[in-house]
Amino acid sequence: MSQTPETNRPVKRSEVSKLRWTWQEMKNNKTAYFMLAPFFLLFIIFTILPVLLSMILSLTDFNMLEMPNWLGISNFIRLFLNDDIFLLACQNTLIFAAITGPVSYLLSLLIAWFINELPPKLRSVVTLIFYAPSISGQVYLIWKTLFSSDSYGWANATLMDLGIISEPILWFQNADYVMPLCIVVALWTSLGTAFLSFIAGFQTIDRSMYEAAAVDGIKNRWQELWYITLPTMRPQLMFGAVLAITNSFGFGAVVDALCGFPSVDYAAHTIMHHLNDYGGQRYEIGYASAIAVVLFVIMYSCNVIIKKALSKVGE
Amino acid sequence: MKKSVFQRIICLILCVTTLFSVVVVGASAGVNKPETTAASLKEMQQLVGTTTYAEYLETIPESKEGLTTIVIDNSTVTGSAVKVSESTECQNSMMEKPDAWAQFGDNAENSLYLPSTGEATWSVVIPESAAGRYYIRITYFNCETSESSISSIERKLFINGEIPFAEAGHLNLTKYWKYETLLSSTSKASSEKDFYDVEYYTERGGENPGYFKKVVKIEDGIETVEVYQIHQDINGNSMAPDITQLSKWGVYYCQDTTGYYHDYFSFYLESGYRTITLAAERDPVIVKSIELVPADDEASTLRSYNDVLAEYKANGYETAKDGEITHIQAEFPDFVSDSSVAATNDNTSASTFPSVSNAQLYNVIGENSYNTVGQWAAYKFTVNSTGLYKLGMRYKQDALQGMYICRTVKLAGGKYGLSDGTPTAPFEEAYDAQFNYDKAWQSTFVGDYIYLDKDGNEVDITGYRVNSDGEYTDLDGNVVDIERRERPFEFYFEEGVEYTLYLECSLGSLKDLIRRVQNSLDKINSHYLRILQLTGNDPDEYRDYDFYGIMPEVVRGLLEEAIELEAVKQEFETLCGTTGSHITTLHTIALLLNTMGEEYGDAIAANMTTLKSYLGTLGTWINNSKRSSMIVDSISICPADKDEKVLPRGDAGFFRSIGFELSSFFYSFFTEYDQMGLTTIPDEDTVTIDVWLATGRDQSQIWRTMIDAKGSFTENTGVAVTLKLVTGGTLLPSILSGKGPDVYIGLGSTDVINYAIRKAVYGVSGNDPYLDGIKINPNTGAPASALDRDAVSANELFSNNYFTYCKEVKNGDNIEKVYTTSKTYKGEECADGKLTFKSLTYDEVIADNFVPAAMDTVILRNKCYGIPQTMSFAMMFYRMDVLANLGQEVPETWGELLSLLPVLQTNNMSIGLTYGSALNFMIYQMGGNMWKFTDNPDYAGAKIGLDTNVAKEAFDYVCRLYSDYSFPVTFDAANRFRTGEMPLIIGDYATIYNQLVVYATEIAGMWEFTSLPGYKNEQTGYYNYDSLAGIGATVILNGCDNLLAAWQFLQWQTSESVQSNYGNRMVALIGPSAKYESANVKALKNMSWTASEYEAIELQMNHLSSIVNYPGSYIIARYTEFAFLAAVNDGADAVEALSGYIDAINDEIERKRIEFDLPVLEEGQLEPPTTVTQ
Repeated sequence: MSQTPETNRPVKRSEVSKLRWTWQEMKNNKTAYFMLAPFFLLFIIFTILPVLLSMILSLTDFNMLEMPNWLGISNFIRLFLNDDIFLLACQNTLIFAAITGPVSYLLSLLIAWFINELPPKLRSVVTLIFYAPSISGQVYLIWKTLFSSDSYGWANATLMDLGIISEPILWFQNADYVMPLCIVVALWTSLGTAFLSFIAGFQTIDRSMYEAAAVDGIKNRWQELWYITLPTMRPQLMFGAVLAITNSFGFGAVVDALCGFPSVDYAAHTIMHHLNDYGGQRYEIGYASAIAVVLFVIMYSCNVIIKKALSKVGE
Repeated sequence: MKKSVFQRIICLILCVTTLFSVVVVGASAGVNKPETTAASLKEMQQLVGTTTYAEYLETIPESKEGLTTIVIDNSTVTGSAVKVSESTECQNSMMEKPDAWAQFGDNAENSLYLPSTGEATWSVVIPESAAGRYYIRITYFNCETSESSISSIERKLFINGEIPFAEAGHLNLTKYWKYETLLSSTSKASSEKDFYDVEYYTERGGENPGYFKKVVKIEDGIETVEVYQIHQDINGNSMAPDITQLSKWGVYYCQDTTGYYHDYFSFYLESGYRTITLAAERDPVIVKSIELVPADDEASTLRSYNDVLAEYKANGYETAKDGEITHIQAEFPDFVSDSSVAATNDNTSASTFPSVSNAQLYNVIGENSYNTVGQWAAYKFTVNSTGLYKLGMRYKQDALQGMYICRTVKLAGGKYGLSDGTPTAPFEEAYDAQFNYDKAWQSTFVGDYIYLDKDGNEVDITGYRVNSDGEYTDLDGNVVDIERRERPFEFYFEEGVEYTLYLECSLGSLKDLIRRVQNSLDKINSHYLRILQLTGNDPDEYRDYDFYGIMPEVVRGLLEEAIELEAVKQEFETLCGTTGSHITTLHTIALLLNTMGEEYGDAIAANMTTLKSYLGTLGTWINNSKRSSMIVDSISICPADKDEKVLPRGDAGFFRSIGFELSSFFYSFFTEYDQMGLTTIPDEDTVTIDVWLATGRDQSQIWRTMIDAKGSFTENTGVAVTLKLVTGGTLLPSILSGKGPDVYIGLGSTDVINYAIRKAVYGVSGNDPYLDGIKINPNTGAPASALDRDAVSANELFSNNYFTYCKEVKNGDNIEKVYTTSKTYKGEECADGKLTFKSLTYDEVIADNFVPAAMDTVILRNKCYGIPQTMSFAMMFYRMDVLANLGQEVPETWGELLSLLPVLQTNNMSIGLTYGSALNFMIYQMGGNMWKFTDNPDYAGAKIGLDTNVAKEAFDYVCRLYSDYSFPVTFDAANRFRTGEMPLIIGDYATIYNQLVVYATEIAGMWEFTSLPGYKNEQTGYYNYDSLAGIGATVILNGCDNLLAAWQFLQWQTSESVQSNYGNRMVALIGPSAKYESANVKALKNMSWTASEYEAIELQMNHLSSIVNYPGSYIIARYTEFAFLAAVNDGADAVEALSGYIDAINDEIERKRIEFDLPVLEEGQLEPPTTVTQ
C-alpha cells in the first residue's frame, strides 16, 4: 500500500528524461496535436522536406532527368570561386534588398502612420488606393507601357516631344536604366500585406496608453511613436520585416516581366534569377539547389539580425 | 588653258576604264539577280490604280446591252489550260470517283482543265452590232484532284489583258460540299399516296448512338427512307462529320465577293477581237464553256415584292390551308458552299433542339463559320399542299448591337431558279431578309421591315431620322407618325415539288452604307498617311505645322469624312429604327475628325495618336459589320396564315432554363474533356500509347477526331491513343516522376536536343545506342523480354518495314478486329486479313518530306531524335499600295532595301525587322555559321563561330542597321504595318499572316509576302537569301513501352496527308487565321494558300538554313543580345562588344560538353579538329 501514493502523484520534471517528459506532455495534449496535424503534415511535406531535399541535392549533379551523382561540396566551391555571374547576382541582390527592403518597410510604416491619422471613412479609401497596386496582380506591367522602348511609349514619346531625346530609349533593355527602374517598380508594389498589418496594428493600440503616457511626460508625437506605438505593435513590425526581406530577396518575377530573362548584361540579375537560370534553362538542379541554399542562409541571417534590431525598438 | 594631248589620252583611258568597270559590275549583278516572287512596281501600281466596280459602271454606256448570248469557242484557248481528255492528272483523279466520271459524260472531249496555277486566255470576236454590256457565265465542273484544297476556286479575270475593275480580281467559283452523314438509304414499293416527312431524333448509348435525320419520301409508289447521322463519341458528344466536295456541274455568273453588289457584274465589251483571261489564284477547275450573256437577261432584273404579291393575287394564290408545318433542323444542311459552314454546339438555351446538359450535341449552324458574304447552306424540302407559305426561323443574333444582319433567300426547284438549277432570289427584297439584334434566342418569320404612316400607307423612309427615344422624326426633329413593321415574305410552293432553300450571307440593304464607310476609311487612311509624312509618327502638339497651308485638301477631307460618317450613322439608325453601341462608333469617329478638321487643322497634331487607334477601330467595325454572324437552330416552312405561335419557342421558360443551367453546372464536374471525341474505350489487351500535346483545345480535338476517324490511325493499326492536352511546362516534371507520355507532339527543337542529351527522348533514326538495351521481337516489333533469345535491338524498328494486317473475327455476337504485325509482306490480303498499315523506315519517313535545314535541328551526332512537325521561318511582308504610291519596287536585296530606306524615312516610315532573328539569319546569308566548322561529328558544336570574320561582319552589319540606319528596335509590327508606317516588315510568315488576316482586314489585298532580301557575296556575285527554320517536333519519350506503336504514330502524324488534312481542318474550324505551318513540305502544298502565296513560301523553303543545336546553345542568344544592346544603346563598337562575350560563350559550351562527356578542345586549341584519317 505504501507504493500507491507514489504512483498516483504527478511525475516531476526532474524525475524523468527529457524525451520521456516530452512524450508524456504530448500524450496529455494529444487533442492539440491532433488539431495541429493537418497543417503540420502539409508544412512538413511541402515546406520542410523540399528545403531539406534541396540541401541534399545541392551536393549532387542532379539534372532533372537522370539519376544524380554525389559531388560533395564542389557545387559550392564553383559557386563562390568560379562563377562571376553569381557574384554579380549577389551584388545586385544586396543592392536591391538594401534599398527596397528598408525603404519599403519604412515607407509602409510611415504611410500607415499618416493614414491612421485620417478620419475613418477617408482612411479606408486611401488605404485602398495605396494597397491597390499589390492586390491587382500583374498591374506592374503598366510600367512596361509607361517605359516602353517603342517610340510610342509614354516616357519616350514625352521626352521626344520635349526635344530631350531624338531616338527612343530602350528603357528595359539598357543596362543603365534597368536597375533603377526595377527598384522604383518594386517600391511601388511593395505597400502590400505588411502595410495592411501596420494599419491594423495602429488601430489595436489602446488609446488610454497615450493618455497615461501624456501624464508620464511624453513630449511630442515622435516620442509617442517610439515609446508607445511601435513597441505595442512589435508583432506586426516583425511580420512586416519578414515580408520585406523575403520580398526584396525574392523579387524576380517583376524583373522578368519588365526586362525579360535574363536582363540585359545581367544588370538586374539577382540570386533568384541565377537560380532560375540554372534550374530552368540549364537543367542543373544540383547547382541551382546550391544557390537556393545560399539564398536561404542569407535570408535566414537577415531575419535573425532584424529580430535583434526590432527588440531594441522603444528602448 | 589648252589641254595637252597627253592629258587628253589619260582622260580617255580613265573614262573608258571607268565605263568598262561599270558595265562589268552591272553585268555581273544582273546575271545573279535573285529569283523572287514579289510583285513588281507595275503590278502594284496597277492594283492601286484599279477602279472599283461602281466607278467602272459609270464609265460604260448604260443603255447599250449585248445582243445575243455569245458562246466562246474553247478551241481558242491559249495558256495553261489542257483538254480534260488529255490531262492525265485530271483523269486519274476522276477515275477514282466513278460517279464523278459518270456525270462527266461526253463533256470530257470539249472541256478544259485549268490547273491551280497559270493563266488561260480565250479569244472572241464581237460583231460590230453586238458591242454592249454582257454578263460572263462560266459552266464549270468542281473536280477534286491532287491540286485541290478546301478553299473555293479563285480566279482573276482579265479582259484584253487588263483587270477591268478591282472586284474582278477576286472571282470565287463556288464548290459544293456535302457532309457525309448519310447512314442508310432504302427503297421499297409502297401503296400509300405521295408523302414527304422529315423527322429528327437522338439516340444515346446502344449500338449506334447519334443524332439522326430521317427522310421518308413516297413518290410514284416508291418509298425511300434515308437516315442521316451525326456520330457521337462515348460520352454523347457530337463529332464533326466528314465533308466531301461534290463533283458537280455548276453555273457561275461573274459576281462580287465583297458583298457590296448583289447583281452580276456586267462587262462592257466593244466590238472587235477581245480576249478573256482567267488567271488561277487557287484550286483547279474544269470549264466547259464561257458565255457572254446580254446584261438585260431576266435573271438580273428582279421584281419588287409588291409586284410579286400583286401577282399572287392576280393568280388567285392563297395560303396553303391544309399545309403542314415542316421544321428543318438547320444543323443538317443538304449542301454548303464552304467546308467551314458546319454544324456546331450551342448550349445557351434549353429550347434549342436537341439539347442535353451533359454533352455537346451539334444542334445549331452558324456563328463564326457561317458569316462571310457569299457563304450559304442549302436545305431541301417538299410541302404537302399547294399555296403560300412563310419561312419561320429560330435564331440568335447577338453580334451587332442595335443593327440587323441580312441573309439572301434564294430558291431553286419548281418555278424558282434558273433552268440550269442555279438558285435565284425570287424578288428584290429577298436579298434583304433582316434579322434583328437580341441577346436572347428569337423565333420570327423571315422578312424585312416596312414603314407605314398613320393611314397605313407605305412610306419611303429616306429623309427621316430616329431620335434617342426610337421615334421617327423629320429633319427638323419633329416626331412624325411612322410605324416600323415586320413584313414576312410569302412564297408560293407547289405540292410534291422538291425545293431547295439557300440561305446566303449578304449585306442586304446595308451594303451601300457599309461601302460608304469603307470608302471613308480609305480616304481617312490616306489623309492620315499624308499627315504622317509631314509630322512623323509622334507629332509635336505645340508646333505649328500649318496643315491648312501645306495640305488644305487633307484638312477639308477630314471634315468631309466627318460629315459623311455622321450621315451614314443617321441612315443606319433610320434603317434599323434604333441606335446601339455598334452604330455609335461611327459618331465617335466623326466627332474626332471634326475636331481635327476645325480651326484650319490646329488640333491635328494633338489627335494623331487617337486617330491612329480609331482607324483600327473603324477597320474592325467594317469587318464586324460585314461578318453577319448569327446562330440558326431551325427553319420552319409554314402556311402563310399561321402566326408566330406555331414556331418553336424563342427562349425557354424560366423554370426550364434554370433547370437546364443547373444540370449543366452539375455535369460540368463530370465531363472528361480529355475524352472528347473518343469513340472506343481501349480494353486491357489493346496496345495504347499516351500522347501529349500543349496546344489549344481546338487543336487537340482535331487530332482526337483524326485519330479516331474511320479508316484512320486507330482503325488501321489497332493502336489506341490517349490524347492529353497539357500545359507547356508539364513534360519535364512528368518525365522526372516517370509518369510521362509515350509521344509528345510539338516539342521545340532546342528541347529535343536538351532532352536527347539527357537520354529523355529516343532516337528514331535506328542508330541510338541506348535503344540497344531495349529488345523487341524481330518479327512483330512488339516488346520482348531481355531473356528472349531471338529478341533484337529496338533500333531495328526504324530500319525495317512492318506490315499490319487486320482480320475481323466473330466472337459470339460481336465482331472483333484482330491485328497482326509482321516484318514480312504477305500481300494486300492474306490469312491474317487485309493490309491496313505499313510502318515505314526512318529514311522513307523523312525522304522528300522535310528540308535538310529542318532535320539538322533535331539531329545530334548523326542520330535523329524527332520528326519535325511545325516549321516557322521569317519572310518579308510588304504593303503594295504604299510602295506603289512611293513609286518603289519591293527590295530584293539588302542593298536595295537600304536604298529604299531614305525614301521611306523622308516620309516618316520605317522598316520592321526583329533584331533577334536578323542577327542570326544574316550570319547564314553572308555564308557563315553559328558554329566553327568541323567534319568530325565528335567535335561539332565545340566552338562558337561568332569570332569568324564572316560572323563578325554580319553582326556588325545588323547592328549598323539599328544604330546608323535607325531601324526601330521595339515596335508593334502588325499595327504599324496596318497604318502604313511600316510598309515592310520581316517576321515569321504564318504568325504575321494569321494576325493580318483577322486584325487588318481593311488592308486585305493590299499586302503580300515574299522571300527575305538577299545578301550579295562580293566574291562569287551570288545572292543568298536564307531564312532560318524553327522546328517543333514529335518525339518518342524514354519509358515508352511499345516503340512500334509510338513509331507508327509518329510517322502517321507527320505524314503528308495527315498534316495537310490537319491544316485544312484547322482553317475550317477556326477560320483563315488558323493557317498551320506544317514542317512537311509536301503537305504545305495542299493547304489553303493561294498559288502565289504558296509559290513565295516554297521559294523561301528552298532557301532555309538552321542553327544546329548543341549542348550549351542557349547561351548564344543571350550574349549576342547583350552585345547588340551594348552597341545600340551605348554606341559601343559592335564587333568589340561581341568579342567580349566569345570566351564566356565558349566556356559555357565547354562546361556543358564536359557534363555530357563530349570531347572538348584542349587548352589553346582554337579550331576544332577535323577528321584525322589514320
